[in-house]
Amino acid sequence: MGEAEDAAAAFQPFLEQYLAEVPGGAAGDRKIRERITTPFMDITAEDVRLDSLTDEQIDGWQQYAAWNLWELIANRSTEGESGLIPRQEYETCAFVQHWSVYPRIMRTITEAIGVDGVIELGRTAHREVGTKLNVTRNWATPMVAMLGRGIVAKLGLEEPGARREDLEEVIKFARRLQFGTWGEGCGFVSGRGFVSPALDADVLARLAVDLDPLADPDVRKAFRRFNGATELFGFLLHYDNRAAMCDTGPYPQEDGGFIIVRDHILHERAYEWGACAEGLPYAVTEILSFKPGTDPLEVTINDISTTFTKPADYLKHLDAVAVYARDEQETPMEGLRRLGPDEQLAIAKQCSTTMLSLYQTIADKDRDQKIKDGVQVYAYEMIMPIAQRAGVWDDVKPQVDELSELTLQAWPTLCGGGAAEVLPPVFLLGEGFPLLSKVSS
Amino acid sequence: MGQLDGYRKVGTGQNVFEAEPVEGPLKWLETPQDVIDFVNGDDVEETIVLSRGGTTTFMAPALSSGALGLITLQGGPQSHLGIVSREFGIPCVMSVAFTEGVELPTGETVPADGSIVRLESTTTPNADVYVKEG
Repeated sequence: MGEAEDAAAAFQPFLEQYLAEVPGGAAGDRKIRERITTPFMDITAEDVRLDSLTDEQIDGWQQYAAWNLWELIANRSTEGESGLIPRQEYETCAFVQHWSVYPRIMRTITEAIGVDGVIELGRTAHREVGTKLNVTRNWATPMVAMLGRGIVAKLGLEEPGARREDLEEVIKFARRLQFGTWGEGCGFVSGRGFVSPALDADVLARLAVDLDPLADPDVRKAFRRFNGATELFGFLLHYDNRAAMCDTGPYPQEDGGFIIVRDHILHERAYEWGACAEGLPYAVTEILSFKPGTDPLEVTINDISTTFTKPADYLKHLDAVAVYARDEQETPMEGLRRLGPDEQLAIAKQCSTTMLSLYQTIADKDRDQKIKDGVQVYAYEMIMPIAQRAGVWDDVKPQVDELSELTLQAWPTLCGGGAAEVLPPVFLLGEGFPLLSKVSS
Repeated sequence: MGQLDGYRKVGTGQNVFEAEPVEGPLKWLETPQDVIDFVNGDDVEETIVLSRGGTTTFMAPALSSGALGLITLQGGPQSHLGIVSREFGIPCVMSVAFTEGVELPTGETVPADGSIVRLESTTTPNADVYVKEG
């Protein structure tokens, strides 16, 4: 074996288990809990309101988050190079920007709407679809800031024990959003059996009426095309990240089947290139109904709201659907519009056509501009939906837009080949979460 | 995952989902312009495309235009490309280590463009890739 193969073989145990010791899935959740003396990833109605946290509480949350991130990332850690977008570069630079500005913005939001207001934002996932204020943000908003902290420590730009108050703020904010969505118990989907049934029953019942059957192969094919085209366009519009998609469920049904509810965001006006989506609804929402069958699907949803099944091709088992449009970001839930087959076809066609022109637009940009665009997307996506709803986005946007001194310091290293070296230990070996018990402030 | 008469096994990778085998000429896509030229050409739906990374966006036009199958040298089934290939129902085998073929300037070995490739994508987690002999 060559040097690269040797290194890959040595790293393999760390892909198979967290720190080569803790597995993924529900078994991993149980095992990591045995190692955490203060399981602060579990939330109570009392401790969600704490103003200050102990080192043990902070470290307990971090220990769980480190495993949770590994669990999520390990299977795709070698996603590899994109010939179109320098993803690792923009991602790592954005993480540093997140750590630089998010804690301050979280304070601003909390000051504006109070602790109860933040909890109420977390409740949005109960009542709404077609919104970015969702379970993914519960996870991503704190996680990206934490990863920035880990990266700057790894690069030696900041002592890992520095800015304890910011670390505390991020965890408090995260737990309040999580509590709003799930109430008491674990704030992470991974600690809730890898299911994410966030919607209230009455909201789902209103959406899941008169589902359109997919018995006709042509109808099934057309829906599959719609689902694929809208998902793919959302990925590209958001520079190859999952900000545009969110699955919740599975929601068990009386007949033994289940429903998955899926959002694809198609028209984000925050970005200059988002104008290409003119004419598309802000979001489409799919109600995916699966009947009980002789070949049952095993379904999990992770913390970034992506469904995985065994067997993997779950759409073969799809029985009926309903599709809705949320035409504008501000459209109230009562204004959701049912989309028939003709309009689904038109949207799928527009997504495919626009995707090709957007692809060319991105391909024509130089590497530096692509990284800047990506940083903007990542820096906006994990806080903008929350700040907008809290009414402070216009006030805090300049902080997000202006690259921090820390980000500028990290940029040359991360964009000059350092990102690929930094990410594996930060993502997979727990180094993104320096414990307070092991660092000096 | 045994041998197939008339074919030579040239690699194994991680299969995104179980699908009927597909077979067609291979096309290596190195740059975004390669992808654009490919989808503007003929035979898109009969061609199996091969890329280095497992990211969705690079391959987006190929997915949207209905390529017959996808192979990557990197990435796993839970990567973005894996997720979206599943949605489109396009067979996709990832992180394939080819045992023979032509060497790229970057050092990877891949089957030559135009080789008739068969994705034996009926099994998970792994699936074999074959080249038609003759």
